[in-house]
Amino acid sequence: MRPLVAVCWKAVELRAGVDPLTGEIRPDPRSLGVSPADEAALEWALRAAEGTGAAVRVVSAGGPEADGVLRQAAAAGAAELVRVAIEPGSPSCEVARALAPHVAGAGLVWCGDVSLDRGSGAVPAFLAAELGVAQALGLLEVDLGAGAGGFSGLRRLDGGRRERLRVEGPAVASCEGGTARLRRASLHLMLEARRAPVRIEAAPPPRRPAPHVVGRAPFRPRARVVPPPPGEHAADRVRALIGAEAPAGRARVVTLGPEEAAEAILEALAAWGELP
Amino acid sequence: MAERFDAVVVGAGPAGSMAALQLARAGRSVCLLERGPFPGSKNLYGGVVYARVLDGILPRWAEEAPLERFVTRRVTMVLTATQSLAVDFRSSAWGEAPYNGATALRPEFDAWLAAQAEAEGAVLVCSTTATGLLVDASGAVVGVRTDRPGGEIGAGVVVACDGVNALLAKEAGLAEAPDPSHYTLGVKQVLRLPEAEIERRFGLAPGEGADFEILGGTGEVPGGGFLYTNRDTLSVGVVLSLDGLSRSAVRPEEVLAGLTAHPAIAPLVDGGEVVEFGAHLIPEAGLEMMPRLAGDGILVAGDAAGMCLAAGIWLEGVNFAMASGSAAGEAAAEALVAGDTTRRGLAGYEARLSSGFVLADHRRLRHAPGLVLSERVQRRYPEMVCNLVEELFTVRNPAPKPGVVQMARRAARRSGVGLGDLLRDGWRAWRTFG
Repeated sequence: MRPLVAVCWKAVELRAGVDPLTGEIRPDPRSLGVSPADEAALEWALRAAEGTGAAVRVVSAGGPEADGVLRQAAAAGAAELVRVAIEPGSPSCEVARALAPHVAGAGLVWCGDVSLDRGSGAVPAFLAAELGVAQALGLLEVDLGAGAGGFSGLRRLDGGRRERLRVEGPAVASCEGGTARLRRASLHLMLEARRAPVRIEAAPPPRRPAPHVVGRAPFRPRARVVPPPPGEHAADRVRALIGAEAPAGRARVVTLGPEEAAEAILEALAAWGELP
Repeated sequence: MAERFDAVVVGAGPAGSMAALQLARAGRSVCLLERGPFPGSKNLYGGVVYARVLDGILPRWAEEAPLERFVTRRVTMVLTATQSLAVDFRSSAWGEAPYNGATALRPEFDAWLAAQAEAEGAVLVCSTTATGLLVDASGAVVGVRTDRPGGEIGAGVVVACDGVNALLAKEAGLAEAPDPSHYTLGVKQVLRLPEAEIERRFGLAPGEGADFEILGGTGEVPGGGFLYTNRDTLSVGVVLSLDGLSRSAVRPEEVLAGLTAHPAIAPLVDGGEVVEFGAHLIPEAGLEMMPRLAGDGILVAGDAAGMCLAAGIWLEGVNFAMASGSAAGEAAAEALVAGDTTRRGLAGYEARLSSGFVLADHRRLRHAPGLVLSERVQRRYPEMVCNLVEELFTVRNPAPKPGVVQMARRAARRSGVGLGDLLRDGWRAWRTFG
């Protein structure tokens, strides 16, 4: 039987608008694709397969919209496409459990280190646990060497430390986007991939009830670092910061309803040049 | 050559998608190449689409196409630095079928149109750039080369809809070297505002839209502006003479900032959140810049063929692109059936354009771009008209009112316009539009 190298892909929207005031996300389904890290994972799998004569299977957990994205993998050279139909927003452990049966038996399972939709990067770790194989996560460098089925890699650790690994399969590896650039598909494969079959598999029922979101705090943008106010001494800077030296008469007291008050504050801030 | 189709259409804009649709509908195998990741992804246009040309081809366009608002209000404005004069026309009939024009954002509109071509059987290949033409020993075009490995595509006909730079038409020897005076630079920003707020500011009912075309308002650079209402955004921008822009040494975004700060425009765009900003060349010289439309094995359509009508009161492009693409597709299919894709065999393309509005309008209005883009029309006349109107409506009691002719003379003199200029341009305008 032909050896297998597997890749896990997650289809995500590569562009989405975010309302800066409400945090509302405006999706752009036309930009559906995969992260550079997922692309790098496929490239490593294709290179590994070239060295060993293995077939590359790409597996994605998601809805039917992922099929078009999977066919991009076929255009690059993947031999098999599998989509596991799973509820959107499923936790990483359930995604890994759904993927596991379809990547079992692969000498290496390649993943991107983290998806672009605020992914936690936990799926590869859960997947290694499900499969009971070694893991090499957060790879910054990969060297396939002579192509005997393993690889060497440099892995990111906490605190800026690094760890060099030698991995022999079976294992789950996750790599960063900068490790490799996915090859440009040939025109012939692009055209062929339009008809590439995607095998649809059902996800297993959740092992335990997924947590339900019962409340959500409003979106809070991260604080911006702004230049310090002018002043040689701390006291000068504090005075500048609180406007203690601003011309008198700038403040005024008004009695308004909440909406009018908000309008008045914005008008005043604009008049003082505090708003862009 | 690994891949072969009856026809290859380069560029999935309105012209290209229509050409591909007509070829596919005629039963021909057709490959539609798009260099962006999806049709419309590289497009900047957000304006009014006059889609009546689709009536016979996609009869349900008004219900199915991703249109923003049906335009029921058309405002033609003349601006100087401190003045504005507007002719404000409304028609509720434009808000009902058959519609006149609708605002659209081209990334959505182009994607929809390409999907119609795909539904007819066209093969859409995105993220792929046509880098050159394949020619046979006789010099006839027999396909295109793309930037993908093994990327040669053989075809009986190539329809070049590759946009304003017309690279394929130039390579085929159909287009001359570009003359900068034939082009303008469109600079546009899209501002987000709540839907209801747009309707309140522009006095529109839900679903209705406004189209502001502006002469002047571009400071030292000859040009004009536009303001269109989309569903929950505004498209506001300027169209600038390339020569004027390079002479003035002003940056185009500064000109646009000047327009949006104009007292007549600022209240309309106030508080809008910028969600897009970009610029694009526009082919505006009409017939004067039009390349030869057909060669052996190749047709040119859309912006690549300069099919944009910039005739002052009429500013249209997408309808000309769609009509020219449709005609190119039909003519290519006809030539393939006849087995003659030489220039002579493809002559049906130009015949179709001549019998319809595309070439008829360009021929009739062939002098319009020269007149409209002239320095006097772009800058002196707006100033003169605004000065005259200001004189007319300024009450100078206790001084008695002067005669209108006297006021007109004074306004013309202040704007540096002589009687000879007025007569000459009046005659040119009569010949062009009369």
